[in-house]
Amino acid sequence: MNVQHVSKLIHHRLILKDIDFTIESGSIIGIVGRNGAGKTTLLRTMAGILNPTSGDVLVKNKSIFQHPQLKEQIIFVPDSTEAMKNYSTKEMIFLYKTIYPGFDEAYMRELMERFQLEQINKIGNYSKGMKALFQLIAAFATGASYILLDEPTDGLDVIVKRQVLQLLVEEVAEKDLSVLISSHRLDELEFMADEIIMIRDGEVDSHYKLGDLSSRYRKAQLVPSSPLPDHILSSLYVLDKTGRVMTILFEADSSIEKELEQSNPVLFETLPLSLEDYFVAKLGGDRLAE
Amino acid sequence: MLNKALWFQNYKQSRLLIWALLVLFILQMPIQAILSIETWNERAEQAGEAEEYVYEVQSWDVQQIFSQGNFTIFIALAIIFFAVLLVGLERNTRRNDFTFSLPFSRKQLYLAKWLLGISVITLFFIMNFVPAYFIISASEFDYGLHLVSSIEIFWAPLLGYIFFFTFALFIGTVTGEMISQTVLTLITGFLPMILLTLTQEFMRVHNFYLFSLGSQPRPIVYLTPIYYTIGQMGELIGLSLAIIFTALFLYFGIKLYNRNKVEHNGEFFIFKQINPVFFTFLTVIASLFGGSLVASLAPWSADALRVIAYWIGFTTFLLFALLAVRRLITMNVTFRGKPM
Repeated sequence: MNVQHVSKLIHHRLILKDIDFTIESGSIIGIVGRNGAGKTTLLRTMAGILNPTSGDVLVKNKSIFQHPQLKEQIIFVPDSTEAMKNYSTKEMIFLYKTIYPGFDEAYMRELMERFQLEQINKIGNYSKGMKALFQLIAAFATGASYILLDEPTDGLDVIVKRQVLQLLVEEVAEKDLSVLISSHRLDELEFMADEIIMIRDGEVDSHYKLGDLSSRYRKAQLVPSSPLPDHILSSLYVLDKTGRVMTILFEADSSIEKELEQSNPVLFETLPLSLEDYFVAKLGGDRLAE
Repeated sequence: MLNKALWFQNYKQSRLLIWALLVLFILQMPIQAILSIETWNERAEQAGEAEEYVYEVQSWDVQQIFSQGNFTIFIALAIIFFAVLLVGLERNTRRNDFTFSLPFSRKQLYLAKWLLGISVITLFFIMNFVPAYFIISASEFDYGLHLVSSIEIFWAPLLGYIFFFTFALFIGTVTGEMISQTVLTLITGFLPMILLTLTQEFMRVHNFYLFSLGSQPRPIVYLTPIYYTIGQMGELIGLSLAIIFTALFLYFGIKLYNRNKVEHNGEFFIFKQINPVFFTFLTVIASLFGGSLVASLAPWSADALRVIAYWIGFTTFLLFALLAVRRLITMNVTFRGKPM
């Protein structure tokens, strides 16, 4: 799946700016960014709900807007079950079976049994967690190659959340499908994502493999002995500052680490790096430090 | 567009109105036919008691059952709400996201809605026309059926309803939610006649006449969509126009649905270019209406007072319209639904 230079203008505001990336099959990609960064707009455009102002979304090198039948390969799971709340489980299965040629009814029923989801006359009567699970199970049963999830674990209790995440990882491991997850739960993404796309003000700020993060960046706690020179300060992301104690992030392949060590700090200790640290550094670290 | 899933999805979200339409057609035709025969019998008996008077069913008595009368107004309203449930309601909720994420072109999605609508209308109309026709033909008033043509009692109302549904669905392609679709369908459904009435009233108050077409000139009736549902098109030209307008509104409906800006769902219009036109138009109409309303309170003999009253009403309604219409076009009515 190729997202090619997608831009989207809404109410004279550029919500997406020249978004361009490729999704390889068999991967879990996390889309992160602050509220209003354009994550949901991006997913809705990739699902063919919104028409891009410019750019295109390609599946098998064909535009999904020119060839909407290609959307058989894409399932969008929104953060609301509004669309299916008045349907019974049986009706929903009928609907999916009729729309998606690859829909596996037996597998759907098997998963429903496994997660103890009973047949019900109105999906709206399911609990929040059950609705989320049903939506996810139905999406996986369609046999689509690309699953787009918008905040899949938002508001779910720990038990259901674990079930959802477990199902997600199992599905990607067993089948050759790709899952794109827009989420604020960075700890969850860290647990399962292969790649991270960070969106900032509608643009791709960075796109990298999660495994590369620790080799590209260092996190450290620093108490400098004297005020740091400007050229060092400008190369640091300050995650936190309490008195003289700073928690900082910097690029691993720069000379900063060496210079910091040579400045005889009172304390300089490297810490394990998390996705949340990177997120804070990139999208709000300076403001936090202020 | 013939996909079973789309039929089912559209049926599911509009079934309340589908069954309401069936009930209205049953009441309009077979039930009304039975009750009318009883009434005609009673009138015939009463006429029999009077000397030299014979009661005869007239053509309009029969037209009341098939194409005119109060029920046609209810059916027209039901048709508007039917179209609103198929398009407007989707826009107010997150259902539009689900529909547009399905592997169908927007043309297919639109045609599925249209086909469901016209199939329901056609099926229910015929289902009720046939028994009503046979009830009358089996009665002693069967001669009444020879007073009317098939165009008057079958083709004109059926094609009129189909056109009006196509029109209401078309309005849903430019409006952003269900209230604006309902309001705009009602306004535009009467628009040519409203414009004529307000313009003629303006000229009458000011005592100058650029033209005078009477209260219901035929060309204006032909251009007013609502007349197609209330049995005013029982002639070949009306029938032909119903077909032509259906084709035109279907064509433009598909074009506009294809260019839908879903991001404007919940707002009054989907296409923002319409806002200034609508703003000006509705303000002028409301002002003219205000003028006519207040002028009607002045005595007819006092010409100067009537003109002054007209402009007081015009200005008052203009001010209110400026505020109200501005709010209307900047509104956003979207029911987001709870997360999960």
